[in-house]
Amino acid sequence: MHIGIDVGGTHTDAVLISDDDIVASTKALTSADIVTGVAKALSTILTDGAVSGTQVDAIMIGTTQFTNAVVERRELSEVAAIRIGLPSGEGLPPMVDWPADIKAAVGNHAYMMKGGYLYDNWPLAQFDEAEINDVLHDIKRKGLTNISIASAFSPMNPEPELFLAEKVKEVIPKARITLSHNIGRLGLLERENASILNTALLDFADRVVDAFGLAIKKLGIHCPVFISQNDGTLMNASYVKKFPALTFASGPTNSLRGAFKLSGVANAIVVDIGGTTSDIGVLQNGFPRESSAIVDIGGIRTNFRMPDINAIGLGGGSIVATDGLHIGPQSVGHRLVTDGLVFGGDTLTATDLIVAAGGPDIGDKTKLNHLSKEVIENGIKTINQMLDRGIDMMKLNSEPVPVILVGGGAVLVSGDLKSASQVLRPKHAEVANAIGASIAKISGESEKMVSYQNISREEAIEQVKQEAFSHAIAAGASKASLEMVDIEETAIPYMDGASTKLRIKVMGDVQALASTTHNKVEEASS
Amino acid sequence: MNLDESHLEDLALGAVFLATGGGGDPYVSKLLTALAFKKYGPVNLIDVSELSDDAHVVTIGGVGAPTVGLELLPSQNESFEALLAYEKHTGKKVDALVSFEIGGGNSLIPIMAALAKGIPVVDGDGMGRALPEAQMMTYAICGACPTPAVALDYQGNATLFSTKDTHTYERHIRGLTQASGGMMLTVEHPMTGAFLKKALISGTVSFSVKLGALLRQSRGSAEQLLSPLQSLFKDSVYGECRLLHTGKVTDKQNSVLGGFDVGEVTIASFEEQGPPMSISIKNEYLIAKLDGKVVASVPDLIVIVEYETSSPINAERLRYGQRVAVFAIGCPEFYRTPEALKAVSPRCFGFDLDYVPMEAI
Repeated sequence: MHIGIDVGGTHTDAVLISDDDIVASTKALTSADIVTGVAKALSTILTDGAVSGTQVDAIMIGTTQFTNAVVERRELSEVAAIRIGLPSGEGLPPMVDWPADIKAAVGNHAYMMKGGYLYDNWPLAQFDEAEINDVLHDIKRKGLTNISIASAFSPMNPEPELFLAEKVKEVIPKARITLSHNIGRLGLLERENASILNTALLDFADRVVDAFGLAIKKLGIHCPVFISQNDGTLMNASYVKKFPALTFASGPTNSLRGAFKLSGVANAIVVDIGGTTSDIGVLQNGFPRESSAIVDIGGIRTNFRMPDINAIGLGGGSIVATDGLHIGPQSVGHRLVTDGLVFGGDTLTATDLIVAAGGPDIGDKTKLNHLSKEVIENGIKTINQMLDRGIDMMKLNSEPVPVILVGGGAVLVSGDLKSASQVLRPKHAEVANAIGASIAKISGESEKMVSYQNISREEAIEQVKQEAFSHAIAAGASKASLEMVDIEETAIPYMDGASTKLRIKVMGDVQALASTTHNKVEEASS
Repeated sequence: MNLDESHLEDLALGAVFLATGGGGDPYVSKLLTALAFKKYGPVNLIDVSELSDDAHVVTIGGVGAPTVGLELLPSQNESFEALLAYEKHTGKKVDALVSFEIGGGNSLIPIMAALAKGIPVVDGDGMGRALPEAQMMTYAICGACPTPAVALDYQGNATLFSTKDTHTYERHIRGLTQASGGMMLTVEHPMTGAFLKKALISGTVSFSVKLGALLRQSRGSAEQLLSPLQSLFKDSVYGECRLLHTGKVTDKQNSVLGGFDVGEVTIASFEEQGPPMSISIKNEYLIAKLDGKVVASVPDLIVIVEYETSSPINAERLRYGQRVAVFAIGCPEFYRTPEALKAVSPRCFGFDLDYVPMEAI
């Protein structure tokens, strides 16, 4: 038996799952301290499911806490950001392009030093002992203990980052260090940004993870706790204390994965309709299709992998023009329950149209008597056209595909959609995010620059795969279930095949659940 | 005119559009150029007619693999140092700088060096777009010798070139670049003011600023952008602008051959039953075919943009599932002469087809 929880900005959702069945679910408001809301959601589903805390084998949590901390510039620790790579990049120090407010929030302690390797493993520059000493003693003098280290080409050769980390520990024994090669891919500025943000979140991660642990322990639950990351897979809680930045954008991923789980359809378009927007994503073999664009988190460029989402301005609170022909992107948002016509307000919203058209029984229907048949029909048509267009843009060909509707606003879709071969409205769609967290697997990823002139392709793949395996096991995967799910090779232009960027992703089941739900989850994904 | 930091975003955005898929991401060059504007103030962007006939003008820019540039970052003073190294090793004083190519980050490097040196930048370039090799530049086609040239690596190591022809220079500079970390700055193609007046694609720097401003202001779907884009290109050194296709990327093949990033991208149509478009890539987008029939080819410009935002997409960022629009723009007249086509026709890139101007298709 296991539990999935989604701690969003507004709602905390939880589901209790036994084998493959949803035993209980709840949707509650997120509390300011997080813990109270989580504890409440947990006790509700345990009571509703009539089970005791000791029967729970694992808890999976999806949370936007760390993304929100960056966006709102709160809970961030000061960071010493060291870059190894001079004389290249002189004049472009760490955080050079960050917005001033977040630069100030992390203290703007930027250091650069000589060292590192080139793409062909020739030394970029030699380390300078005196320079290292100066930097480390300046950091010590300032009393900084959170330290980010990024070296040019470290995904190919992490040795300079590892070397400097040892030096740091000699001078500052209680240092908490993020090495950029452990968190990002090629692209020094973006990888360094990810590493600095991660370092700034380390202390907050301790507090959040410990708070989750406390809430869980209070209910008599003693089981492994996992937190979901941006690619739809899980990290164990102790791993999150080292890599909190890997939780960025796990929300949309969990919604897509939850839609897959609830519907059993692995290749489909998922439309998550909220109060203000509809987020349209693509499921490929049960996982979100990823975006390749540079991802901006709170005004900072990173190269995290995120799902490709087409967000359109249509939700339950979207404001409708008096003729019904134009809807959104303005929305009454969470004020729907006071401002919408059907709730006694004076704004015509998308929800009012659906209720007037004979949809769900919400609010006071008599408040809609004055709407003409024409306006209602226009409005319903406009909603469907907006969704059809958004869905068409995400499809890979003109063939109709199944569309899965999730989220609180899913009631907006009445009847069929032209773009869809079928419209699926799975049960429990309102807690899809928590379901998504509950079924997540554990992944590991590794990337290296290799030259097939120096090493055979098979050997290179085996090496990188083994590294990915060890990352996955460290994150809590069962060794026996690990398999390779993706190989990406990128050759470097002008280098005549001498250099190839090889990236491998592996995935496996949660060790703690390996004996229970594993088989059934496998069936659903095949 | 004076060019300052307020023009930078637009210049860089226009330059990515004109790069036709090549030229790399100018993000880092943009950061450095902004620092240079803050330090030195505006740069003097002059029309080629303002140059005296005996002025000594050189080109300056980056050579190498854009992917390497993601890790081996440029530094603030290296373009200035490259210029000083050129003056030191050739014994010649430089009066003004000009770009190899307007496409991508190479449009910004002359500005950084000119700011530090306090000399003007000529409004124009040697390609009107981006192209992968030195012999494809208008300067080379008009007979300029690329050397004496000086190359500078990230450590400040300088190398002086004196080669007998452009092809030899091209081969040597590629070899040196591989041995120097994959990225170098070169100062090359010394020319007189009189020569440059014949060989320059004029006005492309100021045009790129206007183009970038238009793209920024009219962010929207490709169909909405078409008409303002057509008006802008009509009154420029370029020609007609057409919206060739809208659709989704359904396939992208990529490999490295002979020092080029070679590939082909297939774009399914948004229209039901609409034919797919395929685009051949050799660093840049070179040949566009609709249902197997050529509809635009190099040296005409083929540009792929994000469908919803009209942001131009570099070839290395193009991928499966992206929603895109494809534009074609008639190249500057210079490239349609028989002499120029000997250097830049589809055959020069290994395609077995002759160039037909897009207006004639």
